[in-house]
Amino acid sequence: MPERGSLDHDEVLGRAFDRRLARRLWAAARAQRPLLYGTLALFPAIALAELAQPYLMKVAIDDHILAGDWLGLSVTAAAYAGTLGVLYALRSLEGYLMALVGQRVTHDLREALFGHLLRLEAGFYDRNPVGRLMTRVLNDVEAVSEAFTSGLLAIAADVITLAGVVAVMLWMDWRLALVTFAIVPLLAAVAAYFRIRARDAYREARRRLATLNAFLQESLQGVTVVQLFARERHEHAIFRRLNDDYRRALFNSTVFEASLYSSVEALGAVALALLIWYGGGQIGAGALTFGALVAFIQYTNRFFLPIRDLGAKYTVMQSAMASAERIFGLLDREPTIVAPEARSVVPEPRSSVPAIEFQSVWFAYDGDAYVLRDCTFRVAAGEHVGLVGATGEGKSTCARLLIRAYDVTRGRVLVDGVDVRDWDLERLRRRVGTVFQDTVLFTGTVADNVTLGAPVEPDALGHALEAARARDFVDALPRRRDEPLGERGANLSHGQRQLLAIARALVYNPAILVLDEATSSVDPESEWRIREAMQRLLTGRTSITIAHRLSTVQHADRILVLHRGRVHEEGTHAALVRGGGLYARLWELGLAAPDGTGSNAAPAR
Amino acid sequence: MGLILALAAANGVTRLGSRFAILGAGQRVEADLRDQLYAALQTFPPELFARHSTGDLMTRASSDVSAVRSLVGFGVVSLFSTTLAFGGALAAMLAVDPWLTACAMAAMPVLVLLARRFNVSLNERTQAMQEQLGTLSGRVQETLAGMAAVRAYTMERRAAAAFAEANRTLLERSVAVAAIQARFTPLMSLIAGAGVLVVIWVGGLDVAAGRITLGDLVAFNGYLAYLAWPTVALGLTLSVVRRGLTSMERIQEIVTAARPAPAEAAPLAAPPSLAFEDLTWGYPGRSAALSGVTFSVAPGGMVAVVGPTGAGKTTLGLLLARLWEPPPGTVFVGGRDVTTLPLATLRATVGWVPQEAFLFSRSIEDNVTLGRAGLDVAAAAREAAVDAEVAAFSGGYATIVGERGLTVSGGQRQRLALARALAGRPRILVLDDVFASVDTVTEDAIVRTLRASGLTILVATHRLRVAQAADRIVVLDGGRLVASGDHPSLLAAGGLYARLWRRQQLEEQIARA
Repeated sequence: MPERGSLDHDEVLGRAFDRRLARRLWAAARAQRPLLYGTLALFPAIALAELAQPYLMKVAIDDHILAGDWLGLSVTAAAYAGTLGVLYALRSLEGYLMALVGQRVTHDLREALFGHLLRLEAGFYDRNPVGRLMTRVLNDVEAVSEAFTSGLLAIAADVITLAGVVAVMLWMDWRLALVTFAIVPLLAAVAAYFRIRARDAYREARRRLATLNAFLQESLQGVTVVQLFARERHEHAIFRRLNDDYRRALFNSTVFEASLYSSVEALGAVALALLIWYGGGQIGAGALTFGALVAFIQYTNRFFLPIRDLGAKYTVMQSAMASAERIFGLLDREPTIVAPEARSVVPEPRSSVPAIEFQSVWFAYDGDAYVLRDCTFRVAAGEHVGLVGATGEGKSTCARLLIRAYDVTRGRVLVDGVDVRDWDLERLRRRVGTVFQDTVLFTGTVADNVTLGAPVEPDALGHALEAARARDFVDALPRRRDEPLGERGANLSHGQRQLLAIARALVYNPAILVLDEATSSVDPESEWRIREAMQRLLTGRTSITIAHRLSTVQHADRILVLHRGRVHEEGTHAALVRGGGLYARLWELGLAAPDGTGSNAAPAR
Repeated sequence: MGLILALAAANGVTRLGSRFAILGAGQRVEADLRDQLYAALQTFPPELFARHSTGDLMTRASSDVSAVRSLVGFGVVSLFSTTLAFGGALAAMLAVDPWLTACAMAAMPVLVLLARRFNVSLNERTQAMQEQLGTLSGRVQETLAGMAAVRAYTMERRAAAAFAEANRTLLERSVAVAAIQARFTPLMSLIAGAGVLVVIWVGGLDVAAGRITLGDLVAFNGYLAYLAWPTVALGLTLSVVRRGLTSMERIQEIVTAARPAPAEAAPLAAPPSLAFEDLTWGYPGRSAALSGVTFSVAPGGMVAVVGPTGAGKTTLGLLLARLWEPPPGTVFVGGRDVTTLPLATLRATVGWVPQEAFLFSRSIEDNVTLGRAGLDVAAAAREAAVDAEVAAFSGGYATIVGERGLTVSGGQRQRLALARALAGRPRILVLDDVFASVDTVTEDAIVRTLRASGLTILVATHRLRVAQAADRIVVLDGGRLVASGDHPSLLAAGGLYARLWRRQQLEEQIARA
């Protein structure tokens, strides 16, 4: 069995049953309740068919075999065959329904989780690595659905069978039944003892495994250091100790688990011995038939089976509860950036109102580390503005605040004269488009990646590709627009990906455009194409270009120089160079750079 | 009754004993394998790490190792008990009555055939389901990783719709698997039940006719029950065995790539000279990182290597320490070709401080000593100018740092890595841009201490201030040595060095603005 989540260090096993969580799970499975009830309804029928079999055996032995009744035996055998057929049908149905419930619960929970994740704001993703969220959507959800199938439903089935067995045994011969049950208190005590020890040992083993894996992971990261200092043997010795600790803990847990199984089996044998001893005497005294004893022995076996398997179900419930806790924790995390309740504000763009306005904006991603401090600027409708500044001065942050990926800490950001917090989110993001530094490509065809799934006429798509100067290379692909793009667009060059991003923005057709200029250098031919395509994209729109190379924004209507979180200088390229301030020095720096680009990569966020 | 109890006790004890023995053996095998895997990974050269991601190696060390444990533990237990159960129960049944045995086992071939047919379609459907699960997780992964684009292009609803479709397909395929399983699993007990039925009917007639006794019949039925579980478990056992064998192969792939780990050795007696002679070398599958590089460092001397990113500065250090193997006759320490020096001696001689200093989640002391005995940690920390800060930590040298400990600043990390190198008393020090996060005053102090120590020093740096302290500066560009000399002469020559210098002056001005 693959050990799911063995790499997940934060795995903790808690209680197997938590009333609050169970209530929420029950609510989450609301849609599946008819199925659940239907499955539950099958259980008594299955128990009945199962319990009929030993009884038929008794009848066959006592009434027919011993009496030499050939016809009666055949009838009983036919009845037995009937129970087999019914049992097969019922069990198939039961298995199918249980799986159906489990899979539907998984499906519904996944849908709810994914939908919720899509609503959460950018800040949430800064703090939660994608890997962890994937675990929630994929593994935790499955563990929860097992709570229904291998947990609750299985336990219900066991309880019903157990009740049936007890009832039949008491009905057939209450004294013999009591002899069997005599073992129950002892069984319960032993089972409880080993169960608790096994659980503790199991937990200890998981803890040791987590330590071991963490050490291993760190070793892989720091392997160069180990090799450079020739510490291989020393590290190996530490690993061997941790490895041994884990093995011992695992063995401990095996000891208790196996002891539990074995002692239940042994106690079962004791019960059997008691039965045969007492029952044998009864038969001798004529108070019990031989067939009844045989049937009793079989009932006893069915009596012990669910008790033995209880441990496995306990573990399933335990990990299901832990997963449920994590899932609900995520679902309870409300998005902090949502459209306002009253969607009344639908701004009318007017030329008298600036398309973009930052009013004394303060912003920090984390705590007091302000990236923007009292940042104020305006961009008039139709104006092309360049945004420059050293790395980490908050250029890309401005773009993120503009589409409300984050909310400002203080101050206001206005688009068309309306605070972005009063805009309907989707409408805002349709009005303000962004072209990113790194083009994010999704699995799908070239066309899918340009239209992003929106309904677009083939002609319009062709125009966009043409205007983005992407048509040539797309037409050269074996399947043209239907060419599937590999993982992260691996089969396209960097420049080609940028052209696709421009085509994407053309199709999206926002009135206001933010261009985060790519930092990676491309060959001169591609660069020339990209510039040309960019020019076409900007025509007729309001734009902010975040420049990492000053040459890109030379021809902007106005250039804003961000420094220490605020606009330090502004003006045209010529005026700023003449002014001899920060921009002039940045410009000189760009020219002085050894590779001639003066590129300074911004941290990706 | 005493006999039954005795037999039950004996059964319990032997069963428990054998389980402990075999499961314990499985766990030992698992531990040994993991141990071997770790030892192999420790000696892996960088090119193998480039080929296998951390995730891949972690999977091999966890799930694959566990799969082998299951093979040795559960697989063996199950195979043995199946074989024994079949052998024993069959023998006992035959002893009671061969004819009845034949009748009871008549269903067996049908079972085997059915099981095979079900297995084929179950495998197909399971594969389809797994594939769809892969598609779904791919979709989740790329949406979550691309959230910035999803948000900016208001793709949320379309992403949700695409997910819903993949999710629905997964549901359909999972239910298809369940449908097969639902028909297959109860079939096992149906066929076992059919055996019982045959026994009651045929055996019952036999008893009635006096051919066998009733006791025989009951015993026979008991034996038949023994066969039920191993039959059902056979499929599971086989899949565990198959998976275990595949995993074993994956583990072997790593283990056989291991190299011998070097023993501990003393460094060379005195700081040696250092020389690169017409060194041309490239990373596998890429163009040359260094082309015809020739320069030397006198014993106890200091040479600074400068140049833009990607010029090959770091590669020089990697080849010197033989983390990557240089071509023979290109890199010399004390006049000897490094490829002929014992690896342990070379690594004890060269103290290399990498750009990205890695700290283990252990105490500062352990991070500096790395388990080496008899080192003066405090002295090394003093030389690396980190002693005052360590003393200020509440735990002092016992403070746990690293990923699961106290987060130290980039500058502190770099100086701790320097202390780690100095503590071993190396004869050559290779510093790879280690002053990037250290302020200039501290930087000056460290450089002074190091120069006074008499070590042979090779420093790769972006910071030209440090370079000024060197005996000689070597300028690399695109893997070629383009200039060398001291600071004033290089500045006067007006090439790449002069431009880098100018750029750094400007950056400092901007930072001060």
